[in-house]
Amino acid sequence: MTNSKRLFGVLLAFIFLATACGNDNETTADGGTSESITVYSGRSEDLIQPLLDAFTAETGVEVEARYGDSAELALLIQTEGSSSPADVVISQSPGALGLLAGEGRLAPLGDDLTSMVGAGFRASDSTWVGITGRIRVVVYNADLVDAADLPDSVLDLTDPAYAGRVAVAPGNGSFQDFVTAMRNELGDDDTLVWLEGMAANDSPNYPKNSAIVEAVGRGEVEMGLVNHYYNLRALEADPSVASVNHFLPADDLGALVIVTGAAVLSSSDAPATGQQLLEWMLSESTQGTFAAETQEYPLRDGVASPDGVPALDGFAVDTIDYDLLGDGLTGTIELIRSSGIEQ
Amino acid sequence: MALNSSSTPAPETANAGSTAPSVADPGLRPGLALAVVAVGVVFLSPFAYVVWRNVDLGTDLGEIIWDANTVHPLRRSLWLASTVALSAAVVGTGLAWFTVRTDLPGRRVWRILAPLPLVFPSFVGATALLAGFATGGLIEEILSPFGIDALPSVRGFRGAWLVLTLFTYPYVYLPVAARLSALPPSLEESARLLGRSPWVVFRTVVLPQTSSAIWAGVLLVFLYAVSDFGAVALLGYDTLTEQIYADRLFNQPRAMGLSLVLGGVALVVVMAERSLDRRRQQVEVTRSREALLVPLGRWTPVVWLAVAAFLGNALIGPVAVLGFWGWRGLTADVETVGLSTDLGALVGPTINSAEAGLLTAAVAVAVVLPVAWATARHRSRLAGAANAMVVAGFALPGVVIALSLVFWAIDAPLISAWYQTLPLLIVAYVLHFGAQATRAARVAVDAAPRRMSDAAATLGASRTRRFVSVELPLMMPGLLAGAGLVMLSTMKELPATLLLAPIGFDTLATEIWNAGDSGALAQSSLASLVLVALSAVLTWAVVLRRIDNY
Repeated sequence: MTNSKRLFGVLLAFIFLATACGNDNETTADGGTSESITVYSGRSEDLIQPLLDAFTAETGVEVEARYGDSAELALLIQTEGSSSPADVVISQSPGALGLLAGEGRLAPLGDDLTSMVGAGFRASDSTWVGITGRIRVVVYNADLVDAADLPDSVLDLTDPAYAGRVAVAPGNGSFQDFVTAMRNELGDDDTLVWLEGMAANDSPNYPKNSAIVEAVGRGEVEMGLVNHYYNLRALEADPSVASVNHFLPADDLGALVIVTGAAVLSSSDAPATGQQLLEWMLSESTQGTFAAETQEYPLRDGVASPDGVPALDGFAVDTIDYDLLGDGLTGTIELIRSSGIEQ
Repeated sequence: MALNSSSTPAPETANAGSTAPSVADPGLRPGLALAVVAVGVVFLSPFAYVVWRNVDLGTDLGEIIWDANTVHPLRRSLWLASTVALSAAVVGTGLAWFTVRTDLPGRRVWRILAPLPLVFPSFVGATALLAGFATGGLIEEILSPFGIDALPSVRGFRGAWLVLTLFTYPYVYLPVAARLSALPPSLEESARLLGRSPWVVFRTVVLPQTSSAIWAGVLLVFLYAVSDFGAVALLGYDTLTEQIYADRLFNQPRAMGLSLVLGGVALVVVMAERSLDRRRQQVEVTRSREALLVPLGRWTPVVWLAVAAFLGNALIGPVAVLGFWGWRGLTADVETVGLSTDLGALVGPTINSAEAGLLTAAVAVAVVLPVAWATARHRSRLAGAANAMVVAGFALPGVVIALSLVFWAIDAPLISAWYQTLPLLIVAYVLHFGAQATRAARVAVDAAPRRMSDAAATLGASRTRRFVSVELPLMMPGLLAGAGLVMLSTMKELPATLLLAPIGFDTLATEIWNAGDSGALAQSSLASLVLVALSAVLTWAVVLRRIDNY
């Protein structure tokens, strides 16, 4: 048996040694262009892949794309370290990009690129740039809710009149981004008061936006806080469904625009090609495609918003400056948890 | 004969060989010992990663564990897992007995259908259940003309318990059915000749002889329920996995600390089950050709209806909901995102899912067999430890398993060349699902009596020849049951597939997720249906046909 133990030790040592030895094979190529790049995309395949195919057809650059959940792809990049095969990352959550930027994993982008979008839609240190946006709305069941009862502000929802009627997704990235924006605007104390008010109202919990939209459509819950395009999809699948988007006034916190952003990794050996892809995504024709296909807001200045949603220009609360919050999303998650809104 | 209790084993069924040394068996040959150690080390790697991350991030474990935000979700996780394990044990064992050992009409069809609910990814199952049973769902619409306009809520504990029971009982069903099909009918026949009712026969003869298989399944159900995220999230039951999910990116010390707690819970449960298992008497069986069937008599319609009603909820209901969504897309005049369908796009993922499932099943069984062998035959402590690592790996979230492989493989010489290729993806699957094969393999080894091998040895058969021609055929039903479980789980696996699959290697699970994520409900439903159909075909072709000798 002691032999076996020794063997175990040797094997374990071998694995640790093998890992330790491998850490110095970092390569950095000069020039920064390549005939093929790898993209990790938190945006779904059927939206992004046709665009990547068009990019390849136009430029001759081959693009390999891995699709997944934005947060989990960020974890993957973080764990891969400098050996990451990814050149470009596309994330539905600016928070995930902020985390990677904070760890020095994102390369600064050129001014030509970042100046294509408004100041609110890019990182202040130019590590990532917004590609498209979606807006927070109150989705409601038109059979159950009188339009006169709809709130004028997301802050009204803590009123006892809304008790048990408004669904939230406290674990969802978009809700967390929204709470982070609220911390920016109101400070932590007032944000906690709002969250506790929602908790006191027994706001039903759901895991994500689409689940809330489905529940509102069924009539399981009257209203919910979601991003605007989920209900547009639900209506396409079943035009008779009773769920309707209520857009809050442009200056309300509840009408936050959440950015889908993209960045080039600092470990990429083809940063110039990566940047070329981002420039192409912000070109007017690609931005028009985004608006038509997904009903998301194009972020490039001068490209029209999709039909059926309010124009983007009027919205005062445009995006979140994560730099203002020392603890970033960790603090937001702690605030959400301590409020008791999670049930 | 031992009709009344397991405490009075018939002399020839006691496994004399395996009761003697309770410490490490001196007969563990170096080759076997090496294999066991290698398996143990590989399966240790995800835990080593979690421990290392906790140290690296400076996690304050004490503070995390005693926090009310941890204690309550942990309590809910344990309560959910225990209740699901209990109900799955009852349902899985009952179904196995009715479909294998009674004259239940249509039992061959039931036998193919019964394992299938396992293949629903739990988020798909929960979505279908909600669409059917939730407030405003399909059932309520159907019942509303009859004056029933409010079903009891399926959200929270009730819904999570129901969904997990409906979709995990095959973990019990498969090993128990395999065990029953290998049991000699002589005891049951004797009991019946003595005029015992089917229920008495079941309780006094069948139950004692299948308890090892039942425990094997219950353990898997418990660990699955503890680690499940999809169902509890959709049904709004805040367990430990929900906390890990919410913290996974922006509060990594806590997420990693809670993952360690989850791994610790798994290890405790595995060791507790193991010590129970040690005290259980090992019943040897020999395979017989014809198992006689217990006549259900006047109970036939009742049992038939109960089986039909249960499988209706676990399989036919979800399939009907998915079929409705898919059909709505296929027949739509106007094609929109929600209704767009492309059956041709499912061909590649179907092939990839089958390939990954079959390869993983074969590798997993081959990898865990030495551990199961050393555990069952030699009662080796070393193998016991390796076995604990293998089984506990099932309780870690898939993302954690995937990240641990990224961590160990990306910069390692030799291995790094395999990064994000099929071989390494299969390693991830085996790490996550090896537990399902090892418990079934353990049952299989129990089914290959040592005395038969000894008899062959006295006739001059070599060790290899004895293994191939005597033991392997006896173990086959159990091994195939384990392989079947691994195959079904692999085909629905999502988080590790998304992170580690070769780029372009789409599976049906990633297709379900991709389409669902972009709101293409019809396409997502069709992919789910193809996954169920593929699972049915493969389960029958690989597992059932060979277990039952149809």
